[in-house]
Amino acid sequence: QVSELVQFLLVKDQKKIPIKRADMLKNIIREYRNAYSEIVKRADRTLQEVFGLQLVEIDTKRHIYILINNLPRAEGQHLCRGKEKEKMGLLLVILSFIFMKGNSVKDSALWEFLHLLRVYPGKQHSVFGDVRKLVTEEFVRQKYLETTPIPLTDPPEFKFQWGPRAEKETSKKDVLNFVAKMQGKDPAFWASQFSEAEASQ
Amino acid sequence: ENRESMLNSKSNRLTEALEEANRLFDGVCRAREAALDAQFLVIASNIGKEKANELHSEMSAFDSTAFAEDLLTFMGINRTEVEEADDSEDVPGDFLPSHAWQKMGEEAPKYFRRAPTFHYMMGSFKSEPPVRKQRIERQKKASRGKAERAMPAQLKEMEQSHQEATEKEVERILRILQTHFENDPNTPISFFDFVIDPNSFARTVENVFHVSFLARDGLAKIKLDEDELPIIEPVKPSEGEGGEEDSRAAARNQVVISLDQREWK
Repeated sequence: QVSELVQFLLVKDQKKIPIKRADMLKNIIREYRNAYSEIVKRADRTLQEVFGLQLVEIDTKRHIYILINNLPRAEGQHLCRGKEKEKMGLLLVILSFIFMKGNSVKDSALWEFLHLLRVYPGKQHSVFGDVRKLVTEEFVRQKYLETTPIPLTDPPEFKFQWGPRAEKETSKKDVLNFVAKMQGKDPAFWASQFSEAEASQ
Repeated sequence: ENRESMLNSKSNRLTEALEEANRLFDGVCRAREAALDAQFLVIASNIGKEKANELHSEMSAFDSTAFAEDLLTFMGINRTEVEEADDSEDVPGDFLPSHAWQKMGEEAPKYFRRAPTFHYMMGSFKSEPPVRKQRIERQKKASRGKAERAMPAQLKEMEQSHQEATEKEVERILRILQTHFENDPNTPISFFDFVIDPNSFARTVENVFHVSFLARDGLAKIKLDEDELPIIEPVKPSEGEGGEEDSRAAARNQVVISLDQREWK
């Protein structure tokens, strides 16, 4: 049962869409509901010891899980399919912008920023295709970004924040280091962001 | 409507608006007006929150334009010394190369603890139809014609095993040839010595058949020696450019060897 669950989780993770406990119960655990927590615990151990991954609950109310990498980041080439790496690049840039601007930005502000990088929501991008869809749907579904409508705005506006997957897979400190690297400055240059990053460790 | 002007940290317009709302509320006696007032309060508080946010980021001012410039530089932008067009949004004067985001993609994974996606390495089992086997199939059909027509149902299975058998035979013969040549590298073998089986005509024919594959694939050479008798030798695998051409050229020659039972005897 445990190995079936492990395989199930690995395959479900391919699209990076979070896994619901209900799905796990329905497809794998079925009759063994009582042993659910034990099976999950063992599956997590297998994932950690064999694959170097970790099963993390990102929503304790609705019981939703993701897989993250437990191993320290290795230098060198990472094998990735399709446009995974480029999308990670765009995501990192977006997460940096959001953090440095105080953890929440208006969608208009985000698109204005991406304009500067020649990325336009209305225009098909040579690498990312439909960027609006990528940012507002795919990244949101994968829980990298969270978008909430701003009340009583007409036309409706949204704000973007980090999603729970982003919180688990990276950190404010890492992202600040990225910004610092790009700008050739010390991370402490941005005092309030720096102390916030340190505090969240 | 005047959101932007209210957001300006230097302006007190938000405060003024709130004060005016307070004044107006005294005159309110209808539910609808109270609802409007409530709406206004929500908007005002949102604006207030935004202002507070802006204040926060202004403490350690983050220049997003400069950040964007630095990102573009990192991605390898080619800044030309061209006059900027008026509508610089649509026509940037500089050139962002196609691998720009790839560059970013090289850097990004370092900052994420992303689980590598799980894929089966080999995929599902596929049956292979290599071209060579199909050619053998055709040749086999021609030489065994009548016998096989009698049993059409079993045909496929027979042929399958025959294909493999043929391949193996060809390989076996090549190896024999090579071993022989290793032991005695300067003496090519007489073709007839090689293929003729003194005890079986059928076997002899089969041997010739298999050797013909070696010749076709350039793995063996059949030449005439001083006595005008054919000899056979293996082709060395890596003879460089010249060697490859030779074997290809050699394969172009077609020879028909006829051998009947009387001759064989």
